[in-house]
Amino acid sequence: MFFDKFTDVVPSFFGTLNQGPLTLTIFLHTIIVLPMFWIYFSEKKKLGK
Amino acid sequence: MAKENLSVWTSISFWRRSAAWVTGFATILLIWLTFDTMGQISMGTDADLQKGITKRVPAPTVINYHIDYKMSEKRGHEVPVIGKKEPFFGKEWSPKEAAALLHLGKLGSQAKNCMNCHTLLGNGAYYAPDLTKAWLDPMWGATMQGMTGKSTKEEAMAEFLMHPEKYPTHARMMPNLGITAEEAKGLVAFLKHMSSIDTNGFPRGFSKTVDQFKAGGTNAH
Repeated sequence: MFFDKFTDVVPSFFGTLNQGPLTLTIFLHTIIVLPMFWIYFSEKKKLGK
Repeated sequence: MAKENLSVWTSISFWRRSAAWVTGFATILLIWLTFDTMGQISMGTDADLQKGITKRVPAPTVINYHIDYKMSEKRGHEVPVIGKKEPFFGKEWSPKEAAALLHLGKLGSQAKNCMNCHTLLGNGAYYAPDLTKAWLDPMWGATMQGMTGKSTKEEAMAEFLMHPEKYPTHARMMPNLGITAEEAKGLVAFLKHMSSIDTNGFPRGFSKTVDQFKAGGTNAH
């Protein structure tokens, strides 16, 4: 299973995301990169005007 | 025509906005992670121990309990298991006494610079054995108790710490650091408490060396 059941001693949001291979990394990179697409296209629009 | 020559990659404001977003997000993330870690590293209380509540770092009074190290199928590595009460240096330590003893041990470990040769919780050197789970090392049982002529594990450890040059246990022998009897007690308490900390199975393969030792091999890590 990609997301394993949380087995750590103290429950935490990041601990939950870190249960699977690369899951925390993929999650953090996704939420950092996604808004950059929006920044890219909004800048493109601005330059086009 | 003009549209085709447009390049966002050479736009200063695009890079400025991207940098601001990444820096801002990373700052918030690091602050969040700091507070998230607090719950993981904060020490439990004596009441937690009495109620059997598992904390990553138990209260100093954990020195009054038997500590075992068992494989957890669920977590995929060994975890410290706090068992029944057992006397430590022949008595039960109150929360205040235990905290003071542990503090003395911590200061002692810093004053004698244990980390110069040993590793404690991932910090230090590997010139000498890793001390993170030293208390659980079966060598302190029959072997060291026999060598030092002491009847308990903690007394054997304290005796070794005071006169390490008398007991050749490792290829690279520990020097005599002039540790007093009181400091040795503190250091043993410090090591026992450290062994009870849930380190997510660190150091890896500790039990493997324990099994090798029991099978008649050496226990050098």
